[in-house]
Parts: sequence; structure tokens; C-alpha cells
Amino acid sequence: MAQRAVWLVSHEPRTPVCGTVRFSRRYPTVEKRAKVFNGASYVPIPEDGPLLKALLFELGLLDNDKDFMESRDSCARINKTSVFGLRIGGDELWPVVAFLKNDMIYASVPLVEQALSPRPSLINISGISQAFELLFGVQDFLCSSQKNDDELNTKLGQLPDLLLQTCPFGTLLDANLQNSLDNINVASMTQPPKQPAWKTGTYKGKPHISISINEKVKSMQYDKQDIADLWQVIGAVTCKCDLEGIMPNVTISLSLPTNGSPLQDILAHPCVTSLDSAVLTSTSIEATDDSAFSGPYKFPFTPPSEAFNLCYYTSQVPVPPILGFYQMQEEEVQLKITVNLKLHESVKNNFEFCEAHIPFYNRGPITHVEYKVSFGQLEVLREKSLLIWTIGQKFPKSMAITLSGIITFGAKNPEKQPFDQICIGGTAYVKLHFKILDYTLTGCYADQHSVQVFGSGKPKITTQNLLLLIITSGILKPLLQ
Amino acid sequence: MGPLSREAWAQRLGAFRAGPSAFMAGPEGESLGRDLLSDLRSEKLSEQTKVSLLALSMEFPDQLWPDAAEAEAAATSLLDTLRLLAPRPSVLRRPLLLAATAALVAGGALGPTSGASGRLLPLLLDLAAGRDGDGVFGPAAEQRPLQATAWECLRELESCQPGLLGGCLGFLRGLLGLEGPVQPLSLLLALALRNGLVIRARAGAGLGGLLTDSHFPTGGGPRPWDWTLAEEGDGRLQPQAPSCPAAEEGGRGLAALETSPEEVRELRATVAQLLDVCYLLTPVAQAQLLWLLGWGLQGLRGQPPALFKPQLVRLLGTGQLALLHAILALKAAFGEALFTAQDEALLLHRLTAAAQHPALPAPTHLFYLHCLLNFPENWPLGPSGEEGPPLLLGVQLCQGLLPSLLQEPMTLLAHLHLLCLLCAEDGEEESKGRVQSLRCYLEKVLAGLRQRASLAAGPRASATLCFRASYLVASCLAGQPTVLTSLTQGLAQLYQCRPALAPHFVDLLNSVGPELREPLRVALRQEVVLGTGSDGALRWHLQMLAKVAGRDGQSTTLRFLQEAAAHCSDWALQQALLQVCRSLLRDGVAGGLADLLQMLASQLEDPDGQDRARLYYLLLAHLSETKLAMALGPSLAAPALASSLVAENQGFAAALTVQEAPAALRLSVGPRRLEGPSPVLQLLLEPLQPLYSLELRFRVEGQLYRPLEAVHVPCLHPGRPARPLLLPLQPRRPAPTRLCVSAVYTTPTGRTCHAHLPPLPVKFEDLFLPFPSPLEGTGSSFFEELWASCLPKGTESRVWCPLGPEGLEALVSRRLGPFVVVAQPPDSYCVAIHLPPASRLLLRLGAAQEDGVSVALLTDDWTVLPLVGDYLRGLSEAA
Repeated sequence: MAQRAVWLVSHEPRTPVCGTVRFSRRYPTVEKRAKVFNGASYVPIPEDGPLLKALLFELGLLDNDKDFMESRDSCARINKTSVFGLRIGGDELWPVVAFLKNDMIYASVPLVEQALSPRPSLINISGISQAFELLFGVQDFLCSSQKNDDELNTKLGQLPDLLLQTCPFGTLLDANLQNSLDNINVASMTQPPKQPAWKTGTYKGKPHISISINEKVKSMQYDKQDIADLWQVIGAVTCKCDLEGIMPNVTISLSLPTNGSPLQDILAHPCVTSLDSAVLTSTSIEATDDSAFSGPYKFPFTPPSEAFNLCYYTSQVPVPPILGFYQMQEEEVQLKITVNLKLHESVKNNFEFCEAHIPFYNRGPITHVEYKVSFGQLEVLREKSLLIWTIGQKFPKSMAITLSGIITFGAKNPEKQPFDQICIGGTAYVKLHFKILDYTLTGCYADQHSVQVFGSGKPKITTQNLLLLIITSGILKPLLQ
Repeated sequence: MGPLSREAWAQRLGAFRAGPSAFMAGPEGESLGRDLLSDLRSEKLSEQTKVSLLALSMEFPDQLWPDAAEAEAAATSLLDTLRLLAPRPSVLRRPLLLAATAALVAGGALGPTSGASGRLLPLLLDLAAGRDGDGVFGPAAEQRPLQATAWECLRELESCQPGLLGGCLGFLRGLLGLEGPVQPLSLLLALALRNGLVIRARAGAGLGGLLTDSHFPTGGGPRPWDWTLAEEGDGRLQPQAPSCPAAEEGGRGLAALETSPEEVRELRATVAQLLDVCYLLTPVAQAQLLWLLGWGLQGLRGQPPALFKPQLVRLLGTGQLALLHAILALKAAFGEALFTAQDEALLLHRLTAAAQHPALPAPTHLFYLHCLLNFPENWPLGPSGEEGPPLLLGVQLCQGLLPSLLQEPMTLLAHLHLLCLLCAEDGEEESKGRVQSLRCYLEKVLAGLRQRASLAAGPRASATLCFRASYLVASCLAGQPTVLTSLTQGLAQLYQCRPALAPHFVDLLNSVGPELREPLRVALRQEVVLGTGSDGALRWHLQMLAKVAGRDGQSTTLRFLQEAAAHCSDWALQQALLQVCRSLLRDGVAGGLADLLQMLASQLEDPDGQDRARLYYLLLAHLSETKLAMALGPSLAAPALASSLVAENQGFAAALTVQEAPAALRLSVGPRRLEGPSPVLQLLLEPLQPLYSLELRFRVEGQLYRPLEAVHVPCLHPGRPARPLLLPLQPRRPAPTRLCVSAVYTTPTGRTCHAHLPPLPVKFEDLFLPFPSPLEGTGSSFFEELWASCLPKGTESRVWCPLGPEGLEALVSRRLGPFVVVAQPPDSYCVAIHLPPASRLLLRLGAAQEDGVSVALLTDDWTVLPLVGDYLRGLSEAA
């Protein structure tokens, strides 16, 4: 379950090497074990240079020519997980857990405690999930509140110390690196015994619990007979509990209004001590009937010190919050478009923002637009071939708005406008983004009175709800025809 | 050399990290480890610089101090540095402990004879138990981090040397009951417990007092560290994966552990104690604990896995990768004993939901999908080790896991794989409809992928994805003709839309099994030859045709080529055209091809093309079909190279020149035969494969004999008796030697091979020839005459010839029979031997004594005396 080595590699397309090793750490004692366990199939950890090359090649991140190359493009090279084998010299280093996120490649080689030939199944290698946890932990640490390169460099500079804390010998102790950073900073403070390892320090001050529920709704509306429209709500409940005592017990209950759509696929934070079997079995993968469990959903837990996601859930609401209709007609160099949007009456008509993006792919820049909107303003980004329809804070009383226009395009420039392989010809979409404060689509809420705290004074409880982002598509015609 | 400055060290460390092996091979490499250790004590360097030095020694101890002695010295030095630190806060204590541990383990110095190990282990245990024995471990504020570090060091030492802490189990258990940091202690206890169980089980012994003996292992004075269990374990590392077959090797497993009821109780109490505090550990540490305990208790008598049950409900609720993975490990370890059928269904539901949960990242989804297809079922139906959807995972549950064109390539392929596996299931009547609709869906997805790949401006990635998907479908659904038919049609259409994908098609044809290869080849050939040879895609058509052309439809192919020839204006196109001719030649297409080649030889503008066409024409005219196929077929001698010219040359080289090969026959020396005027070696041949036109060549070491003629054998077949070969020898001097033998032969496939055979020995006695036998009754006088004629220049000697149990008479008749001139058993034998080319050897054997016989010998060639001596002394030994 230990790691032999960890790397962070930044992906730099259009440079000679296409990447740089930003951080690497090897674990020689684990390597020693690998040599024994792997026996004849042992392949040593390479130096950074060869690793960089092999990793970029394997992930297909080298800028090389477009011609077919068997070692790279062969149809038999199929990877179905983020676990790769890297060709280094004449040998293959396996398993290498690696993924790309925000131009950074996170990679680690877990120890396999047996011979590698024949290859054991990944499910039997304990180090695989540990490698993922370590890399996700590093990713969370690097990406949290990071805004620019300087901050990234500072965080990369902190990594060696952090890994010394959380992974001194290659066996991960805590995937929450931010926690460990806080731990270093409060190193002088003595921790009381029997404190959970995932809790740093103890809180002194007025008790306070804040709960916020964020829901995102993702929707695809094809407006076609043979393809069902999709919309799904994804919820996250975030908590921050400032409570005195070593292990205060808290129970938070999530409730739904009458006839609310049940929460499904609930994933609880590991600090939750027990879950109702009804919560465990409520799932979207099986058809549910009316008798489905609809709460209250109880989460008893001992809170960690930092803000954390108490649970995630999904839900299937009966109708999408906004119905879209998008029509496009091509007439020589001109495009005639019509967009209709209709807000569902049950949705709170009070947005922080609401805008529709109408992109045009595989065409030249916009040269001319004639349009009419029944509501809001239209912004034209000519070079990007994009229209942004700003709807603002409220839909009008009719709840329905319309945009129609005629757009003319200039000559296509493949250099500036990369090819999109989905939006070809009549296939196009409108993307709608909005945010509504103090509202959830499922109606899910954490009642202040339902929050129970044991072992601490009565806390102040604040709750906040948020509905973010919807992605609505217009027509996505030729897909799946 | 004095201590380096901070900058100098920074530069040096940077240079080292940029290429550790190059740096160590360079001029500064040798002194790096030494300088590092001495500068750690320098007062001029800041603590931060020292931390970076220690970081290096934690990461590269095996490069800095590669052997055990150096590692031992380095660890000692690091421990001394730790002792010398002033009792004020310092950031060096933790890294020093870590570095000393890493150096000892990585250098292989850890062991009972190592002084540094003897110092480090008690020190770590003291620190871990919160006993600041010597007061050297800094101020109180540093105690907790130091304590945690000490636990980690101990755990690493136990990991690398199982059984090291076996003697502390009781002590650790006691500590867990008291206060102290829970996580490192429980992890160490679990690890030591598991290792102890394994070692004792292997020894077939019981636990002894391991769990109850709670004394402080090094307490009460300078008691040495207890290495018994570590030595019992032989330092051997054990696989940890519960379901890993290696773990079950040896057959006995943990069931061999002899435990008394009381030990069983203690063990259960310890495990329960560990599981009780499990919740306090970080999720990743909880997972480690469960893996360790799962492995430790698997197959152990009297340990009900129900102990884990209370944890499972809590863990199943999370989506945390490490925790779900650990549950799967427990599932694999305990199966039905821990998971009922309902539990199994619930776990599958959770796993399926997690594999598509929008709150989890894509790599997690893919790993869960892998886990689903390798799910450790209670009652698996399929063969183990093969991926497949578990029985309880119905089509209904997989709806959300079906591929969609909007997914990333890797996700799409993983989901497509699942879809293929579902389509491959031959269900009962009721599920047939569902499988049918899945197949329709599969075809839609493939069509969508092909449509994307067919876009002229599309990126390479979309083409690659389309072909990978096709390959996946072809390999999973090879037994489904309907799927393959529509796949073939779709791919043929794709080629029609975008012939530039020809290299992908060639790759696909090379990779897939015959179920798709054959129909696809035919469809693609038709697609190509139906077109005209004049469009812009000629280059691709020719590349495609070189792969798919065959005996079938040869007339249309030739017509297409003839038409195309007119448009092959440049060198590359001409070569591509000839490449097609080459594959036609190889496949034995003759009629019409000769005309085409002749036309090409005369019409092509480029001399290269003309020559090649002419060569092919000549080959076609002169070589038989099989030989032609051989000459143009892929070379077996070397892996195919990218260049067709090189590959082609290799094909010719293989077929038309002699190949070096391993010996395909065995050669040995048979019994002696006395024929003719010179000594003859009888050779026995034993072929290992059919051989034709065998020629055996001999070379004598040291020019002792005249050169030997080669021997020819028309053919040899294994299993059919071969006539022995007689090889006449013509010695220049009567001396033994060795013959170097090589063989040249032709194999049934037409290759000519050359092989070296093991050398054949020619013994001294192989050279013996008899004198012409004298007339009846004159033997005695004949011998005396010989003796007398030899005497003037000859050398006389006397040798003791030991006799075995068989006695003199038998020995003489067996070994010397043909050479005996006068025999008067049992008192006297006269032996005359002619040694070619012109030497004589005369022996007089007297009456046999108790254990031997005295032999008087006379020879006119004194150089043979030592050989004769050896021969006679060894006479009775040789069988």
C-alpha cells in the first residue's frame, strides 16, 4: 500500500519537451521492498528525464506530427483506467497511476507486493487506491484557492515538507495535505490524546455551525423525439463546525418538502458514523417507485476542524428549471437562429446572474448580426464567434423570452479557431448559466431545529442554499443518429 | 575541505537531482555522501540547508551509501549528529530519524549484527512510547511530532523486516489501551500482528505469549533487541493482497497456526480493539488497517470475520476510493462469511452508483468500473481472472454506465467495454430483448464514432478512438456474426469516406482476430478496386491494397493496378504499386501479374521502379510458388523493421542465403569398426527435424590428422533409422584429438541452415589397427620377429595394468581381441598393434596377479609411451 515514487509534471504544449518535472519524490525503502516482491519482473524507478518523456508519450501529450504512428496510435493500445505502463529503456514500468488536471500531470508508482508477471488485477493492489488518494490530496492542495503561477510555485515549494509529514516513507498517513500544513503551523500546540487523526487542534470560542447546500443542475435538452432529454441535480452539503471539545457529536438532518424528489446516490463524508439503510439504498440506478424514502436524511458525525463536504447527492426533479428551444437555419453564408427560453413557474425568479452562451463552431468570425431580443441584452464577441445573451436578475412576468437573429460569418481561419468535432453543420447548442441564491431545486434544506449537538453548548447555526449553473443544450442533432 | 556554503550546496544538490547517476559517476560523486554527513554538523550552515541535505539522504541513500558498511557508518553518523544537537527547538530531529532509518534499510544494513540498528531501535521505541530517556530529544513542544515520527520509522522497519517488532506486540497492545496517538500505534500494531501471524503460521507454531507479554522490550537495562521472530521470518516479505494467489502459496496459509482457545480469545480482543478505534484514523489509514487485518485473519481458525461488520455499514456510505477498495479486499478475503447475497447486492449497487457519481472525478469512476468488472463474487460463474460483469449486475443497473459520444476517449472505451461484455451475454428468453436493444445502441455508438473519424479535418485522436473502439468490439464480440457484419460494413464505408485512414486500417487488420480480419479484408479490397486508380487517394489505395490484396478477386485487382500504373508518376507511388505486386507474388497470384510486371518494367520512368519490377518478374518466372512465398514472406530472423526495403531484403536474405541455426541433429561416436587400411570412426546420426541435403564438415584440432572430407546425407527424418556414417581418419601422428563438426542442411520450409555441433572426441584406441593376421601356427614367431625388428631403435617399458573383477581373459578378449597375435591363457598374451601412419606397439601380458597384470611393451615411437601408459592403466575401468 506504499508508493515507490511520486511526480508532478506540468504539461507545456508547444514547447520542445512539452513538459517539466515540477516535483518528484522517491521512496528508497519501498523500492527495496519492490525489488524483493517483484523479483525477476522488477523494473527500477527511472530518473526524472526518462520518466518525463515516457509519461508524456503514454498520455499522448507530445506535440508530434499528425501521421499514424503504431507505437502511439495502434488500435490495440487501449487504456480503460488511469493506470499506465511506461516504456523505459527496454522495460515497462507498471503500474503508474497518472492523470492530467489543469495542465498538471499527477503521477505515482504504487508498490505491488507480489510478482508483476503475470500482471495482477488492479483490484488486488492496495497501493492503487492509495496512489489515487495521495494524488487527489496533492491536487486539492494545489488547486485550493490558487489563482496564479506565483501561488502555485509557493505551494509546490511547500510540498516536500508536507509529504514529509503525510507520507514520510511512501505510506500515506493523511490525504488532506492542508490539514498537515495547519498541523505544522500549530506544531507547538500539544494535541490531546484520543483525538481523531483527521482533526487538527481543538477549537476555543463560541460554538457555531454553518451549513450550506449547493445544487448544480446539469441538463441536456435535445428537443428530439427519439432522444430523451436529461437533467440531473447534483447537491453538495458543506459544513463548518466550530465546537469545543475533542469529539463533539453532531447530527444534521436534511429534509425535503412534501412531494419533493428524493435524494439519491448519497455519498457521506468518512466522519459520518452511521447511515440509515434507506439512505444507503436510495439510488438513481434503479427505477424508484412512489414509496421511495424521502427523508429526513440523518447524518450523525464528529466534525473535523476544517470546512468539509458532509455529503453529496443526486436527484431527479420532475421538470428542468428552464426549458429551451433552439432552431438554426443555414442560408448560404447566413445563419438564422431562434432561441426560446421558458422559466418553470415553480422556480424562484430571482437570479444572481443568468446568461445564455451561443457559440458557433467550425465557422469564421462573425461579421454581421441582426437580432431582436424580447428581453435582456445581447453581446457579440466577433472573433470568438460567440453571442452572449445576458438575461439579468429576473425573467419577465410571462416567464418566456425569445431571441431571433441573422448572423453572417467571415472566412474560416483554422489556426485561430480550432476544429470542433461535435458541432458540425446543423449540430449546435446554447449553453445557459445561472445562479440563484437561497434556493434549491430539490427543495432540500437543513432545518436549524433539526441540528443536534452533544457535548457542547448550543451553537449558532447558519444555513445557506445555492443553485448554480445549468447547462442547457439546444439541438445536438446528428449525435447518435 | 571545509564546509560548503549554502549556495554551493544548493548548486550541488540541484546538479545531483538533475541526474543522480551521472552526478555520482562524476568527480564530485564520490565525496558527496561524506561531505553531506560532515556538513550536517557544521555550525555555519543554516538549519534549512541541513534539512535539504537530509531530504536528499532520505530520497537517495542507496546512491550516497550503496553498500551495507557505508550505510551502517552513515546511520551511525546521523544518530551521532542527533545526539549532539543542542537541547533547543530544532527542525532537524525528525528528518535525522527518518534519514537514519532510510539509510539502514536501503543499504541493507538492518540486522542483529549492526551497531546502528542496535542503537536506533531502542531509541525509536523510547521516543514512541513517550520516554525521553536521555533527555536529548529536545523541548517538550517537539515531543508529539517526534513521537509520531518514531512510530512511522518503526512501522517502516517492520515493513522491511517482518517480525522485527514481533516481540513488542503485547507492549503495543498495552499502549493502545492507554493514551497516545491512535493512528500510528494501531497501524504499527496491525502490521506487526499480521507479520507475526504469518511467520508463526509458516513455522507451524502457536502465538506463544506474543499478545500478552507486555513488558517494555528494551526496558530494564541494556537488554539487546529481540530478533528471534525477525530471524524466524527469515526477513522474507510476504504478499499482502488477500486474494493474491502468491499469498496462498505453500498451501498451508494461516490455517497452520496452532492456537489455543486462550490465544484465539486474545487475538480476537486485539482485532476488536483495533477496529474500535478505526473510526479515529484518517480514511487512507483506515483502509490500510482493513487491508492488513483482512489479510492477517484470512483463513485463521476461530476468528469470525463478523468482527468487521460494524465497520462496513459506515464505510459503505462513503464514496472514498481507498475505503471502498478496502471493502472489496475484505470481500475477496472472506466472501460469503462476511457478505451475504443481499450485502453483495448492496455493495454492487453502491459501486455502480459511485462509478458514475457526478461528484467524483473521472479517474475514480474508471477505477470503480474496473472493480465492477473484476468484482470478487461469492459464487463466480465465469473463469477467474477474466473481466466480466457480475451476475447481480443486470443490464438495468448498467444504464448509466453506457458509453456516450460526449465522453472522454478513455471513459468512452471503458464504458464501451462494459457494453460489449453485456452484449456478449447469451441470456435467457426474457433478457434477449434487452441484449438486442443494447446491440442496437452499440451500433449507434460505433456509427457515431465512425462519423467523427470520417471528417476530413478531424483530429488524429478521433480516428484513433474509432479504431480502438472497433478493435475492442471485435475482440469482445468475436462470436457475434451480426455485430461483426455491421462493423465490417461500417468500416468499409469509413474507408470510402476517408481513404487517408489507410494506416489505421492496416493496423486494425494486423491486430484483430480472423473473425473480423477476413471479412474486413475482402470488403476493403472491394472498396479499393471498385474505385478508379486515378483519384487523389491513390497513395492510400495502394497502401491498403498491399495489405488486403490476395488470390480472391485477382482480376479486378490487376485491372485496378494496371489503371493505376498510368497515374504513378512519382517514385513513392511507383514503389507503393510494386509493394502491392509483391504481396500478390507472395500470395501466389501468377496469371496476369507477369504481364503487369513486364509492363511496369518497361513503362515506369524511374530506374528504381523498373529494376524492382524486373526483379519481381524474374522471381515470378524462376521460383516455385512455395519458394517465392518464402522469399517474400516476413523474415523470422529479426523483428520487422519499418522500412519495407530492409524488411524485403531480410526476406530474401532469409530464403536465399545460409542462416545460422541451433543444431538440428545429434551426433555421437558408435562402437569401433575395423575396416580398411586406416582407422574409421563410426558416427551415429539422430535428427531432431527433417533435414535435407545434409553436409557434415569436420575439422581436426591441432593438424594432427590430414583434413577430413565432408560427408553428405541426402535426407534424414526423425524417427526413421539412419545408416551409421563411417569417417576414415588419416592421422599424421598417432595421437587422440577432437573433431570440430558443423552441419549445413536445408529445412522442409526451404531455408538453408548452418549449425555448429558439439565436438567429437577421437580416443587413442580409436586409432589402433591390427597387423595382417599371420598364418595359422606362426603367430608366435611372427610376434618375435616384430619384436626383434623393433628392438634396435625402439623403446621398451613395463607398465602395471590393474585388473577389475572380470579377470584378464575377459578383458583381453573384449578390449584387445582383434590385436592378439598369440594367446596362451591364462599365462601369456602377445599383442601387436599398428598405429597409423607408421608406428608399432607390441605388448606382452604375463600371468594375472591378484589385482593386476604386468605388461611389457615395446614401441618404435617413444612419443606414444605416455598415451599407452594411460590407456593400459585405464583399461579395466572403461566399460
